[in-house]
Amino acid sequence: MTTFAPPSHRIVRTTGIALGVIRIAIGLIGISAVGLVAAAADSTKLMSTTELNSFVNQYCVDCHRGDQAEASFDLAAFDASLADAAAQRWDTAHWELILKRLVSRQMPPVDADRPSEGEYDRAIEYLSWALDENSTRFPDPGNVETIRRLTRAEYQNSIRDLLHVDVDVTAWLPADESSHGFDNITVGTLSPTLLNRYITAAENISRIAMGGRQRSPGGTTIRIPADRTQEKHVEGLPLGTRGGAVVHEHFAQTGEYDLQLRLARDRDEKVEGLHEPTTIDVLVDRKRVHRFSVKAPRNEAEHSGIDSHLIVRLPISAGPHEIGVTFPNESSSLLEQRRQPFDAAYNRHRHPRRTPAVFEVSIAGPFDPQGPGETPSRRAIFGDDDFDGVDETEAARRILRRLARLAYRRPIDDADLLTPMKFFAASSEAEGLEAGIEAALASILVNPNFLLRIERDAEGIKPGKVHAVGEIDLASRLSYFLWSSQPDAVLLDLAEAGKLRMPGVLEDQVRRMLEDERSQSLVTNFAAQWLYLRNLDSVTPDLRLFPDFDDNLRQAFRRETELLFGEVMRNDLSVLTLLQCDHTYLNDRLATHYEIPHVQGSHFRRVALDPSTHRGGILRHGSILTVTSYATRTSPTIRGNWILHNVLGTPPPPPPPNVPALGDKADFEKMTVRERLAVHRSNPACASCHDLIDPVGFALDNFDALGRWRELDDGLAIDVSGNLPDGQPLAGVDDLESSLLKRPEMFVGTMVEKLMTFALGRGMTPADGPAIRRVVRHAATNEYRFSSLINAIVMSEPFQMRVSGNPGSSP
Amino acid sequence: MSDRSNQRGRCLNSGHRLNGTPRALSRRTLLRGAGAALSLPLLDAMLPAMTATANTAANPTKLRRLGYVYMPMGFNPKEWIPANDTLDTVPSSLSSLEQVKQQVTVITGLDLQNAYPGSHATSNAAFLSAARAKRTESSDYFLGTTVDQIAARKIGLHTQLPSLELSMDLLTTVGQCDNGYACVYQNNLAWSSPTTPLPSEAHPRIVFESLFGEGGSIADRRQAIERRASLLDSVTQEMKRLAKDLGANDRNRLNEYFESIREVERRIQLAEANVDENPLPDLDRPVGVPASYAEHAQLMFDLQLLAFQGDITRVVSFQLAREASTRTYPEIGVPEPHHPTTHHGGNPEKMAKIAKINQFHVSLFAEFLAKMAATEEAGGTLLDHSLYLYGSGMGDPDAHDHTNLPILVAGGAAGKMRGGRHLVFDKPTPLANLHLTLLNKVGVPLDSFADSDGEVQELFEAV
Repeated sequence: MTTFAPPSHRIVRTTGIALGVIRIAIGLIGISAVGLVAAAADSTKLMSTTELNSFVNQYCVDCHRGDQAEASFDLAAFDASLADAAAQRWDTAHWELILKRLVSRQMPPVDADRPSEGEYDRAIEYLSWALDENSTRFPDPGNVETIRRLTRAEYQNSIRDLLHVDVDVTAWLPADESSHGFDNITVGTLSPTLLNRYITAAENISRIAMGGRQRSPGGTTIRIPADRTQEKHVEGLPLGTRGGAVVHEHFAQTGEYDLQLRLARDRDEKVEGLHEPTTIDVLVDRKRVHRFSVKAPRNEAEHSGIDSHLIVRLPISAGPHEIGVTFPNESSSLLEQRRQPFDAAYNRHRHPRRTPAVFEVSIAGPFDPQGPGETPSRRAIFGDDDFDGVDETEAARRILRRLARLAYRRPIDDADLLTPMKFFAASSEAEGLEAGIEAALASILVNPNFLLRIERDAEGIKPGKVHAVGEIDLASRLSYFLWSSQPDAVLLDLAEAGKLRMPGVLEDQVRRMLEDERSQSLVTNFAAQWLYLRNLDSVTPDLRLFPDFDDNLRQAFRRETELLFGEVMRNDLSVLTLLQCDHTYLNDRLATHYEIPHVQGSHFRRVALDPSTHRGGILRHGSILTVTSYATRTSPTIRGNWILHNVLGTPPPPPPPNVPALGDKADFEKMTVRERLAVHRSNPACASCHDLIDPVGFALDNFDALGRWRELDDGLAIDVSGNLPDGQPLAGVDDLESSLLKRPEMFVGTMVEKLMTFALGRGMTPADGPAIRRVVRHAATNEYRFSSLINAIVMSEPFQMRVSGNPGSSP
Repeated sequence: MSDRSNQRGRCLNSGHRLNGTPRALSRRTLLRGAGAALSLPLLDAMLPAMTATANTAANPTKLRRLGYVYMPMGFNPKEWIPANDTLDTVPSSLSSLEQVKQQVTVITGLDLQNAYPGSHATSNAAFLSAARAKRTESSDYFLGTTVDQIAARKIGLHTQLPSLELSMDLLTTVGQCDNGYACVYQNNLAWSSPTTPLPSEAHPRIVFESLFGEGGSIADRRQAIERRASLLDSVTQEMKRLAKDLGANDRNRLNEYFESIREVERRIQLAEANVDENPLPDLDRPVGVPASYAEHAQLMFDLQLLAFQGDITRVVSFQLAREASTRTYPEIGVPEPHHPTTHHGGNPEKMAKIAKINQFHVSLFAEFLAKMAATEEAGGTLLDHSLYLYGSGMGDPDAHDHTNLPILVAGGAAGKMRGGRHLVFDKPTPLANLHLTLLNKVGVPLDSFADSDGEVQELFEAV
């Protein structure tokens, strides 16, 4: 494990006490405790306002003045003395922008007259101090919308935690649109289509969870991705097998189920790779329950029906099961090949399958259903209550009260039970207790109290007042941040008892929640969006240029990054480990791709790395390098842009509307990407941003569009020279990493911004600047450990407070 | 299931028209071009006798449907714009329209002023709204009600679904929307109000279920509808309770919710009213999404045809791909990603590839038009009674330009649409004019729409 010494930092003045101060402030909210923070900063050593004014005059105003101001950012009227007038609230947007540009050394531009490092530091110090001061005097926690619909991921997880049933809700619910990089921002609307789908989902989920009867046997079909190579062992299947797949399926009822397989065919409808007789094993929960034999077709006509007998009826008990289908290895002798095989094999014309593969698995049933059995979901529904001598209605009332409390994430009153009990009464009268509970459950799952997260203002508070979020709502903020799911009973108990803000309780809860499995959502939901891992699914590199790409590699890419992020989170490492680290996670597929020897087998394991492997931090991960490339080539622009957005936190301004014409570009095709981009940047309209973007991306050009290391591109030596937006020269990925680590607060600040955007479900504004910097400072004193970021965010004003009244209108 | 596999790989013929009262249609008569191999279980047991609603349509001889197909990232005009005002010879991008060109008009010279400053987000957003998108990445997005939704409020009033929103991109992506604009602008064609983008569906199975439900006997289906109705009732009750609790601040939002609830209520009532007359067989639902783009798009077009045929909806919008999509089309010789290719800089190779993509997209539409034209219904064919607008919100994609848009209008014989022609506007004319014309033609009278300054009267024979 790499560890990092606490880096030297220049803007940390209130280190060590910042968090404590926030805590006190929250404790005293409503009594105006904010003055306390002011005392923490020692203002006597700061730059004077006159000095700052002359700094701005000397270095900024030349270009940023009047109607012709660069980037329409006019600083002619800038007056630092605003900050001196302590009682005055002023618009900090300009100040925040100046600060950001100074910290990143992006301004003044490289070719202009620039301050000395000492001057930079003094100006930064002053600006941060003044902005922090202002925010403590005039807190602005920003507005989290009062009503927010659960996202699809939140819905899925809430169902999992409420009912202990893992269903794929993407079968019913549409995806959410994203904004500010996350899909939990624009979640206000509830269209008729969506409402309709919620009803369908509620009916299905309540039936599956209860093990209710279906009118007729149902079925699901799982297709294996067409570009999945099935020549090797698959994780989760027995050793000595190859190919196939593992399918997780929840069976509502005990009974007999038909399992049917179809084999992969090429575009002429011939079964691929079926050159000799073969066998296929069917496994339920890793135990073999059936073996099929398949003949090799003797002629073309035999192909069509050759797998039609691959159907078997199996007794399966209710509940979640793991269904495996795979090919036992016939022999271990190596296949002889005339040429070196590709790593991928799924396409007849490029790299044919040498052995047959599963195309789809269908499961239909139950036939002869035997009842709902004993399943985790039924245990979750019925709970541990002793219902001896309790009448049905009373039992139902108790069950539904417990479920509704979790589902609505708040205490339940009698009025809340009217609707579920009405459904219970109607259905139980006609069809019995089980049907009654199922119907009542469905009514809970379509209830707006479940589907919508609602934050209420404190009772009797005037509009526009900053106040602490109620503890019940705070519990939801916490759980949807750390788990992307509802609060559990522990959290709700604390909130209902008003104990969540007692000393040490929140820290304890954050620790408990991060240790809990459910925090995996920070990897699969937060990091997957932040780092664009979600885009891997839609990546399809050009088959001709990259014949080695297949779905196996795509999934391996994702796992590597998820595992590293997961390690940082679970082992509470410095988040800088993400940028630079001496190990990674590999399986044989990914190791082959990276040309790292001695990694055998389909499972992922931690692998210590030698620098010669060129692997380590996320900037060297195939996942990120691939999602920032085009199907045919690398794109320094996309990669540079990705780094500016997600690592440096200095996103370039939006591209100019109406792309300017580039003039005569007849020779374009003959140029390298670097040359083409240089032509592009010769246009001043493009250069203003692309001078910042492209040179960062060049530093990664030793990695091809699939993240493989290369020294040459098309026979030409790769030129990886570039520079950071601050003008620092870079000669490749090593330089890029060490430059980023020289100013860790930039990366950490970006990560904090992303985490807070995700945590609050809103974009960050200039008013959030001080809160973000406080979190970064706190983390700096804790070696940037993952939990220190999370803790400080949870304690931050934007997370703890809200403004009463209408969202959208500032106080 | 074994049934399904036996069907696989059969070649289906099309070509003969269906006569008389619609009966349960066999897919082989209807849905495939000759020789196209098909592995779509959807179509096996598929076509119910969709008699009732189809025949009770108020006036079957009139135009009564509107469809919109969005093609992203503009065109290569050289391979699109016909040389004169006929379609006697058409450039390569439109060549697939040959069979149906008497029912197609190419329009050149339309623009979307409200899509400026030029971007991908606004191309998509303005296409059906002709409105200016408020620049924001937060939930305060604001556009305009789109034409399909204006139509749906009138001609969609009595169908089970007032409108159908379809698309092709199943996967969500991050970081690929225009900087400064919430993704809703780039992804949603249809907006039922300036603040309500409607989600579209790309999964054939889900579309299928929203059209035909989950099947079963009449009694089963009636029961299922009743269950849904009572669940919806409970949503109304509980939403009212919530509204009381929340007070005035969130009234607008809640009013939107209540509107949605009423709309779903209406759909359920219509489904209930039709349940006896629409004896759906136990349907096989589509399993997955076809791996090839063309097959997926064909299936999405087939679903539109089925929806029209059963009169389940009369308004459709369909996005063939998102703006700024980096989808590759190796099957037609374009292995390069679409978006960077469209920044062609005048490069002839890239221009040729744009034309190929245009041609590919248009060919899918042309195939659909042919099927519509081959499907009879009382008083003519499906195509005769439908108007389709096909096009892009971008003209020259290299410049993110919104003038000189590629636009086709198809169908509409029942409204005397004059096909086989190329209409050219010498000076830039708002696309909104065409929107207005089409709306008026299908019986949604409006005086103006967005930035319209007239109508495209030339499209139809004078009444």
